[in-house]
Amino acid sequence: MTPTVAILYAPGTNCHEETAAALERAGLASELVLLRDLLTGDVRLDRYQASVVPGGFSYGDHLGAGRIFATILVSQLKEQLATFLEAGKPLLGICNGFQVLTEAGILPGKRPGERALALVENESARFEDRFVRLVVSEDYSPWTAGLGGRVLKMPSAHAEGRALWCGPAPGGGARVAFRYCDPAGNPTAEYPHNPSGAPAAVAGITDATGLVLGLMPHPERASLPVHASQDGLELFRNLANWFRNS
Amino acid sequence: MAISCIYTVSRDDAEARNWLRFLRHHGYGDLSTLVIERVFWLEGAVDVRSLLPLVANPLYQAGSEHSMLDPGAGPIVEIAYRPAVTDPETPSILAGARALGQDRLEFARLSRRYQFGGLTAARAREAAGRFLYNPVVERVREPDEVWATLRPTGRPDPVRSISLAGLSEGDLCALSQERSWYAPLAQMRVIQAHETRQARPHTDAEIEILVQSWSDHCYHTTWKSLGLLKQLSQATADINHPLVVSAFKDNAGGMEFYEGWVVTVKGETHNFPSSIAPFGGISTKHGGVIRDTLGFGKGAYPVGGTTVMGTMDPRLAEQDVPAGALHPRLIVSESIRGTAYYVNPMGIPMMHPLYRTHPRYAKCFALGHSFGLIPKQYAIKETPQPGDIALLIGGETGRDGIHGATASSAGMTGETLSRESAAVQIGHPITERKFTTAIPVLRDAGLIRSITDLGAGGISSAAGEMAEKTGVELDLDCVPLKDRSLTAWEILLSESQERMLLAVAPENLVQAQAILDRYEVAHAAIGRFTSSRRFEASWQGQKVVDLEMSFLWAACPIEPVEVREPKRRVEPLRLPTLKTREEWSAAVHGVLGHYHCADQSPAGSRFDSTVQGRTVVGPYGGRDHRMPTNLAVSAPLRGKPYGLVTTVAFNPFYGDADPRVCAQLMVIEAITKAVVAGVDYREMVLCDNFYTPRLRPETAWDLREMVAAIAELSRALGVPFISGKDSSSGTFEAAGRRIDVPPTLAVATMGRVPDVSRVVTKEFKRAGNRLLLLGRSDGGGLGGSVYADLNGQRGDRLFEGYDASSIRQLWDLLLALRRERQYVSGAAIAEGGTLLRVFEASLGSGLGARIELAPGAAGTTTGQDATSFAKEEHFFGEFVGSVLLEIEPDVRLDALKVPYRWLGEVISQAEIMLTEGGSEVLRESLADLEESWAKTFREVVG
Repeated sequence: MTPTVAILYAPGTNCHEETAAALERAGLASELVLLRDLLTGDVRLDRYQASVVPGGFSYGDHLGAGRIFATILVSQLKEQLATFLEAGKPLLGICNGFQVLTEAGILPGKRPGERALALVENESARFEDRFVRLVVSEDYSPWTAGLGGRVLKMPSAHAEGRALWCGPAPGGGARVAFRYCDPAGNPTAEYPHNPSGAPAAVAGITDATGLVLGLMPHPERASLPVHASQDGLELFRNLANWFRNS
Repeated sequence: MAISCIYTVSRDDAEARNWLRFLRHHGYGDLSTLVIERVFWLEGAVDVRSLLPLVANPLYQAGSEHSMLDPGAGPIVEIAYRPAVTDPETPSILAGARALGQDRLEFARLSRRYQFGGLTAARAREAAGRFLYNPVVERVREPDEVWATLRPTGRPDPVRSISLAGLSEGDLCALSQERSWYAPLAQMRVIQAHETRQARPHTDAEIEILVQSWSDHCYHTTWKSLGLLKQLSQATADINHPLVVSAFKDNAGGMEFYEGWVVTVKGETHNFPSSIAPFGGISTKHGGVIRDTLGFGKGAYPVGGTTVMGTMDPRLAEQDVPAGALHPRLIVSESIRGTAYYVNPMGIPMMHPLYRTHPRYAKCFALGHSFGLIPKQYAIKETPQPGDIALLIGGETGRDGIHGATASSAGMTGETLSRESAAVQIGHPITERKFTTAIPVLRDAGLIRSITDLGAGGISSAAGEMAEKTGVELDLDCVPLKDRSLTAWEILLSESQERMLLAVAPENLVQAQAILDRYEVAHAAIGRFTSSRRFEASWQGQKVVDLEMSFLWAACPIEPVEVREPKRRVEPLRLPTLKTREEWSAAVHGVLGHYHCADQSPAGSRFDSTVQGRTVVGPYGGRDHRMPTNLAVSAPLRGKPYGLVTTVAFNPFYGDADPRVCAQLMVIEAITKAVVAGVDYREMVLCDNFYTPRLRPETAWDLREMVAAIAELSRALGVPFISGKDSSSGTFEAAGRRIDVPPTLAVATMGRVPDVSRVVTKEFKRAGNRLLLLGRSDGGGLGGSVYADLNGQRGDRLFEGYDASSIRQLWDLLLALRRERQYVSGAAIAEGGTLLRVFEASLGSGLGARIELAPGAAGTTTGQDATSFAKEEHFFGEFVGSVLLEIEPDVRLDALKVPYRWLGEVISQAEIMLTEGGSEVLRESLADLEESWAKTFREVVG
């Protein structure tokens, strides 16, 4: 069976179409799945082998970036979500999608309803639209396989991306997969290389298994031949490879 | 019903920090701390504690049933929506509560409590009043106030008849003023005569519809009286361009793209609201022009936009700001916030963020463009058929924006600032985003007969225009309201944002409603189209409007306008000659640090430029993405190499020296910027936006000259205008002082290229390459220039290097050179002259340049007088139409048939070096230059 990726979107999501284009370029089939259709039962998440929650301003980011989307996920779609996560299916949250995953407690610890990481306003208190460099920490995750140590260039565009957690490291065995870095490839706190001022230069983290990834910058905007960089395509290609190998 | 509260405070509140910085920057230097506490007001039998996770993330927010502010820490001002108004957040709170199983929450509101450390209570209130709320929909909630219910309450005024019978000229004028109609006497008289003919007084709603429809903003009375409206459309008709799909008849203009797609362009100004309430004015400027794209044909999808601002100098001393006008620093910073607030959530890439100044922009220039994409089969809308449903979609109708059309057609006075702030709308991008997703789905399902946006004049304007040929019957009780106190004429005139009107065949209604429900877009059938040729509306059981369409659309009197050539107070330039190295250095740093040339990324980087994944070239490019590109390239069809290329030209200085030539230069500059990148001018269209002072014989002269000049040029070039907008209200009056804006024209181009990989950008490519200035570079280049402005001068003439045939010759040569890949980087000369382009190309590459100032010494000069011009002009001259090209050393250019000059070469050192006859005049490191260039705007934005 050809694996199909669910691109889960809601009112206010605005990066779903380019996410589909990037997946297509990586040779993956995808479907746009409206959150409302999961709620009505018209569509079920278990039809899909992986999922991406794309960027945007879901529900206008009212009450907090990604919060209403997350509240609906953990309250009304609890069982479908648990089944999906337990099945070990890859899940990627990009930008607002990352905010949704942290607000839902899916990252860092895969514990829906228990928040352990927040993405708060950038240090500049502004929306920051920039090209950033990300150094890949390790290649333990299906998303980063073979990319350890690589520096990837891609656009970043958000106002709330500064990772905040209690204690020495994000909980639940989560790992930092992507860090903002300077032109020499060194992780940095320096603005604007690190546009949010995120501590430890955190740009993206995974859960302990590496299957669930949250990333503030936008790999889908660096995936096509017309883009200024095609580094982001590596992540989607990795997903395609993972399907081939598993 | 029980009302309970949850208070939340963020522990690490960047928003509060940002406001603290902002307020300290804008007159409240004594403000020491600012804390924001949000209050969620909840009505219904609800378990308050269970909602805590929804309103507060414990990682960085504290939530409590009691206020967490220490009353001793400073005065607290609480801002809430007015009782008659629905909060924009209410539906989200209700949806979140439902998700948590709290079905008994019946209504919710949100208020914000600001605690101002270091200010007196009176100053705290003043600061809040100036910046933190909009009195049209919000207010200060007093501490002792008790809410009986959170639901919107309020009662509308009844409909009134207003008889004009027997009123004298003076009475008519007074009434027009008093009711904020701003209708000229001639219009009042026509309405008076109509009353006699129909033998009944008009209702207030009818007169409101008439004066709104006949306002300059909607009816373009100024342009019509000068015979201008037809000039551009006639030129376009004469050109008969094969790529033009729709010009000057729809909400935007459309040009054929590739593979059955059409691209659209529209530019819209929002000068009046942006001058009195910049945040709301700018956000709704974007909302409005985006809806023009959605209202093109049967609904185009927005794929890019611009924000173009002209204000007074933001560094102006407080006392130099005209009384009654906002400080330009505030207008600029609030406009940036407004653009980010609206455009980012819309998910539309910013293509051209542009900020300019002029000492006479007391009433600012606020322009935004929107570019769209639509299948050609849907590019032409149909006429509504009798029986079609008038389906209103999007936001609810409120008190915001009433009288926007008439007020914005009038001049602005010190008094306007307070009196007409009701005319400024409030934008909620999430609402517009929802129907932006839904409209293409409705369109592709064949459910839209016609669609238009609600902008100036609201339902009155949209329904009136859509039903011009048929007729319409509206039931105003069906219009969803967010403000219960609206009376009939207010419902008709409200300019509440985020609404569109659709004509849907009755058999398609159910399917259309199902699609709208799926995308959570509110909708209401508010009437039907008829064959009566009348505009009819009822409200609360009464017929409140019954007007013949023929009267509404044909009776507006167009008064003749007196036109007189102005006596221009212009003086020839008297610029000092730069002698020493220090003088050259100061001049170079001065030009690069000039507001018009400086790094504007502190604004531009707050807008998403890559969303939609279509961006090929955004506002900033080159190494590290810091170089302004002056060009936007998008690949709108996913998986295809086709490029949509856009440029903008806007220079407020040129109009001072010569409005006619200024207008021509804007057209030439905008087109050249795209041609040098490799876009064929034969596959390009134009959009014009004029902003001129209120009508006087002299300003009418200038306007007429400008329009005639570009119509003639467009026709001669074969490059058609397909969309445009005019505003003739650029006058500010206060304390006996009248300030007219400079005659302003902004021109945008939209072109297509078959392969985006062939577009050439301007960063230098390799050291050792030669630099060529192709085109004329003699005579008049410093007129209206940035360099002259630094010397406090404009000059009495502008660069007039090209007529239509010589600029076409240059463009043809450029395209031929580009086809043969004879140049590897290129940029059009504009403000800041050759210097700015050389600097930017260096910045974008990390390479430097050596430039020879003495003409002839570095190479050949042909076709122009080499002896008569100054070195300053060589480097700072704004030779609009000419281009800077980078040529590889082994490329042999055959005898060029246009004037050109070898300037020098690209060097590997990151520096700019000027020589004269080979000996060094100046050598500046790129890093030093960059510092001057980068600091100007940063200081303004704070």
